[in-house]
Amino acid sequence: MTSPSPSSRKSLSKIACNRLQKELVEWELNPPAGFKHKVTDNLQRWVIEVNGAPGTLYAGETYQLQVDFPEHYPMEAPQVIFIPPAPLHPHIYSNGHICLDILYDSWSPAMTVSSICISILSMLSSSPAKQRPADNDRYVKNCRNGRSPKETRWWFHDDKV
Amino acid sequence: MASEASDSKTKPTETQSSSSSSANGNGDAGEFECNICFELAQDPVITLCGHLFCWPCLYRWLRLHSHSHECPVCKALIQEEKLIPLYGRGKNQTDPRSKPVPGVEIPNRPAGQRPATAPPPEASAVPNFGFGLGGGFLPVMIGGFGNLGLLAGFCGFLPSMLSIQINNFADARPTYGTTSGYARGFSGGYHDRDFPRASETNQGAQAEDNRLVLILLIVMFLVIFSCMW
Repeated sequence: MTSPSPSSRKSLSKIACNRLQKELVEWELNPPAGFKHKVTDNLQRWVIEVNGAPGTLYAGETYQLQVDFPEHYPMEAPQVIFIPPAPLHPHIYSNGHICLDILYDSWSPAMTVSSICISILSMLSSSPAKQRPADNDRYVKNCRNGRSPKETRWWFHDDKV
Repeated sequence: MASEASDSKTKPTETQSSSSSSANGNGDAGEFECNICFELAQDPVITLCGHLFCWPCLYRWLRLHSHSHECPVCKALIQEEKLIPLYGRGKNQTDPRSKPVPGVEIPNRPAGQRPATAPPPEASAVPNFGFGLGGGFLPVMIGGFGNLGLLAGFCGFLPSMLSIQINNFADARPTYGTTSGYARGFSGGYHDRDFPRASETNQGAQAEDNRLVLILLIVMFLVIFSCMW
């Protein structure tokens, strides 16, 4: 699977455009709790503010998600990363990459930005400790030249967090 | 990119202005939106797990993008030959989704699997006819015996028992059908082979009786004839 870096990425197909507009309308009518879409001109890149859920380790903290859509969205998963500083979490690398199966192998075209957001908030909320993944430094070094997390061969080993 | 940016700039405001109407529409049309493109399903197909898709959307997902044949909504296994096409009344306009992606031919969606037609309504309108082929034959045989009975009468050998048996047949006759006689009796017999029904059991018992009587008659006539010759 190749996914060019956002700058050289192809523009959205008509199907992708239509679907994203539908998602945006739905988001505006019924946004997922704890998220705020920061309106920009760019339909292909959404920036979303995440508020840590009350009663969790991330309560009161705010982070930013960047969602980039490929040409053939929703057939291909969007690229979702935290804009650094990323939350301290055993599955979130310091460069903002997120180890979450639905963003890669388990993506399904029936998922939406909204459902991704809920999954990410759920992942944050179930964290037992604020810490980086064990292989954080090695991984981040490998990604130096702006590699997309979609090019990483992820290993989803932990189904608890 | 630039043109697209301006595009996306104008469109959200457009959709916002129409959002109230689409929100109202969602309640009705949302049920029939493809789970992949979120538009009203075009060439709709439904999975065994009940999820609706445009055929082109599902085809592209299964053949080009997914690694496994799973339902995008619930991950149930999808077999293409078990998809059910939905045939509405309207004729589809050509839709951008059916336009092939360069190099991708989307075949016709799987055809519906059509069970046999329902039994014709007249079959249930003639519950009295026939008890299998035997039932169909009986009236004809009676005709034959009527002649034999006449013959026997000529010979002066008509025992009282014989007339009783013939009366018995006459009584049984209404169960074959009261309207058009023997021909209907035959057709009734054929229908009944296809659609056995409960009334057959008591009528069948009577048919059994009649058959025994027939055999008895035949034996009697054989005896009579052998005596005559």
